[in-house]
Amino acid sequence: MSDTVLDVRGLTVDIATPDGTVNAVRGVDLHVGRGEILGVVGESGCGKSTTIKGILGLLPPNAEVGAEMIELDGYGDLLATPRKKMREVRGRRIGFVAQNPFGSLNPIYSIERQFYELQKAHGTKVGKKESREIAHAMLDGVGIVNPARVLDGYAHQLSGGMAQRVVIALATTLSPQLLIADEPTTGLDATVQAQIMDLISGLVRSEQRSMLLVTHDLGVIAQYAQRVVVMLDGEVVEHGPVMEVMVDPQHEYTRKLINSVPKREELHDVTA
Amino acid sequence: MAESPAPARRREPGLTASRWTTVRRLVAEHPGAALGVTFIVVLVLWSLFGPLPYDPRGTDGSASREGPSGTHWFGTDGTGGDVFSRVIEAAKIDLSLALAGTAVALVIGVPLGLAASTKGKGSQRLVRGLDAFQAFPLLILALALVSLSGNQLYMVVVAIALLNIPRYMRLLRSEVLAIRESRFVEAATAMGASTPRLIFRHLLPNVWGVILVQTSLTIANSIVVLSSLSFLGVGVSAPTPSWGSMIRDGAGNMSSGEWWIATFPGLAVLLCVLAFNQLADAIGDRTARSYR
Amino acid sequence: MALSTITTRGPSRPRRASGPLKLVASRLLFLFVALFGVVTLSFLLVSVTPGDPAELIAGPVASQDQIDAIRADLGLDQSLWQQYLDYIGGLLRGDLGTSYYTNLSITSEIGNRLPATLILIALSVVFAAVVGVGVGAAGAYFRGRWPDKVGRFGTSLFQSVPDFFLALILIYVVFFVLGLAPAPTGQIGIGDVRPEKVTGFITIDALIAGEMGTFWSAVSHLFLPVLTLGLVYAAYFAKTARSTVGKALNSQQAQFARAMGLPERTVLRYAFVEARGTIVTYAGVIFAALLGGEAIVERIFAWDGIGTWALQGILRLDVPVVQGMVLVAGAITLVTYTLLDIIVGLLDPRITHG
Ligand SMILES: Nc1ncnc2c1ncn2[C@@H]1O[C@H](COP(=O)(O)OP(=O)(O)OP(=O)(O)O)[C@@H](O)[C@H]1O
Ligand SMILES: [Mg+2]
Repeated sequence: MSDTVLDVRGLTVDIATPDGTVNAVRGVDLHVGRGEILGVVGESGCGKSTTIKGILGLLPPNAEVGAEMIELDGYGDLLATPRKKMREVRGRRIGFVAQNPFGSLNPIYSIERQFYELQKAHGTKVGKKESREIAHAMLDGVGIVNPARVLDGYAHQLSGGMAQRVVIALATTLSPQLLIADEPTTGLDATVQAQIMDLISGLVRSEQRSMLLVTHDLGVIAQYAQRVVVMLDGEVVEHGPVMEVMVDPQHEYTRKLINSVPKREELHDVTA
Repeated sequence: MAESPAPARRREPGLTASRWTTVRRLVAEHPGAALGVTFIVVLVLWSLFGPLPYDPRGTDGSASREGPSGTHWFGTDGTGGDVFSRVIEAAKIDLSLALAGTAVALVIGVPLGLAASTKGKGSQRLVRGLDAFQAFPLLILALALVSLSGNQLYMVVVAIALLNIPRYMRLLRSEVLAIRESRFVEAATAMGASTPRLIFRHLLPNVWGVILVQTSLTIANSIVVLSSLSFLGVGVSAPTPSWGSMIRDGAGNMSSGEWWIATFPGLAVLLCVLAFNQLADAIGDRTARSYR
Repeated sequence: MALSTITTRGPSRPRRASGPLKLVASRLLFLFVALFGVVTLSFLLVSVTPGDPAELIAGPVASQDQIDAIRADLGLDQSLWQQYLDYIGGLLRGDLGTSYYTNLSITSEIGNRLPATLILIALSVVFAAVVGVGVGAAGAYFRGRWPDKVGRFGTSLFQSVPDFFLALILIYVVFFVLGLAPAPTGQIGIGDVRPEKVTGFITIDALIAGEMGTFWSAVSHLFLPVLTLGLVYAAYFAKTARSTVGKALNSQQAQFARAMGLPERTVLRYAFVEARGTIVTYAGVIFAALLGGEAIVERIFAWDGIGTWALQGILRLDVPVVQGMVLVAGAITLVTYTLLDIIVGLLDPRITHG
């Protein structure tokens, strides 16, 4: 077992469009240590989500992914993994939490059924009843007060915070060692945001998991992440421990980013 | 299609050379539409000015139901009429009635649609009513109108228009409501723009694309309605050749092997409809890219 | 008749309905009101339009007295209001009047002919839905690749072909050249004997009577008309399925399902479940549009359904026939839409579990 859970080197993504090729990601290096939360920040459109999708093998056929290596500890090289096998990695070895939980959950199926589909997909030989018990425990674990009622209900009956908790429960059901969260709190109320972040970081810490956390919010990075990667235009322009980068940013763009959120960032510094 | 009062964003290319490149690129991007437009243009020009090998209204008892050959390219029908000449000649009446019906629908439907694009209860009910109207057997309604009027040609135009006005209204309403929500109209309203100014400067330039698409679709649909009517012997009547009545003349021959009598006029309808549908797709593609 | 410009999304979904029962109740109320509208419209349609049926029936050589007699006989000399009341009164007794020409009761004519039309439409919609949704979903899944290109070519072709022309082409190719289908002689062959009427559906009645020859003949006679209508309307299904399934496949929900490691077939199933409301709605709208819309195809295949009957009625200005047709088509359409609204609502927990 090494100390690095995910090691990405020289990741590139080229997307073919009718108007020519878009080099959305241009040689990104990332590594996430065990028990570590790595923050990724950068302005909208700089390629954060594309990087994640590249790692997970979720890009459409018109996107070409290249890299020196994408190594997942305990599994192997993701780049060399055929598309079909990647499915076993997703969900089981890497859990994923997206922004807007209502977009993530299936609107037609009950919550219980979505837990069942997940377990069925990964070949866990559980019956409906067992699946429900597991789901019940998972919901309990993410702080949902009345799991039975939520399980019988549908996504649209939940509040935003509850829905995101359900998504987190789904993402961690198969105990993946790595969580990837793409702006998990965007669109939620400010108070709920903090609760959700506390929940996710707690889940990571308690199980010695690791997390790749994409966000716009430098305050969140300052409070929860240990290291940070700053992206601009498909490239990493700066990386390092959060404190160092925050206090002494080397790159012009990072400085601008930090200056653009003065008050809240300072606030978080104090609380941290 | 008519020139649109170009929205300021898209400038016309000034040089002939660059205009040619534009045309070439358009053709390359929408080959179906380009072929379709070419077909329609050739058909219209030929029917208006071109020489026809035979009199399209003539008959020849000694040469009935002859298959396609060097003398009769598309063969002859039951009365010995030359199918090719008749197919070309029929374009005149079929296309002009379809265009007339579409034009009336456009001229009436667009303003009504604009007027109905408020969010009030009344306008919502109106739209539901229009939906219900569309649920009726429209062909039956069109037939009833035309035959009750004693087979007047103007009634064919009215029927086509009536079938399509609700479609324009619906379309306009939903587009305009969507645009009204958008920021720039809000801003313009806040700055005190007058209603006509709002309509002509902000709304119309933005719905022009969908109106063109709908118009092209309506022409296609009108050609079908029209040929359905004349297939049933309503509307255009002999001796004026129309595609629908030619198909009707040859319908019985299909099960006895003389396929050409109905097939060539049928292909004319099919190709015209295909052409306008392709054109609609192409316009839809382009406007979707430039506006949204 | 082509629907190429259809913009209707069918019945609109109720915004707030709590519970399935309330949904059903509110839809039924709407149905009742709308049916009344249809009745009125079918009355007005023929009573207010120009042209004098009495003159028409009497023929060109009739004297004014004869025309007046006919007019009185038909009740056309009474006030519009009185005619309307008579019409509603008759309707409540199940009496839609009699044909000007054949003197047959409209109600029994409809009863005799409706089964032939219903079976034709129902099979066509099923055929169109299966083929169209298959082609459209394949196109959405393989967007831009060859299954999509072939599917789209077929879609635009069949969307542009007038149904009556396609019917003739199929008769020539499948009947005359290939000999794979029987001649277009209606529901059964000329030599076949109609089985005793039980349900009115010839196939079923033949089975009940145990006449297998007639049964197979009826089935084979369904082949070409169903193929014609099915192909034309499959194009509409394909277009809708391609866009709705495509949208569902690109949705964040599909992304998340993939990110959770769900297999592609499950992702596709999710997309179908998401799109099924739209597709069911479409099936209903097309079913309704076919009613009367398939009249020409019926006529070509000598199908003795209500389409052929209505066409004949219209062409000779047989007012009660036209009224009957509009009424039946309108009523069936409305009932279909109501059922749709309810089915779509029940399929979607966002509507039933408010
Ligand atoms: N399918 C696509 N076709 C063309 N360009 C694309 C496509 N997907 C992404 N891109 C381009 O890739 C770049 C990166 O997009 P991405 O979604 O990764 O940004 P992001 O950093 O996640 O932004 P945000 O913070 O808004 O989520 C963008 O400039 C976008 O234009
Ligand atoms: Mg993103």
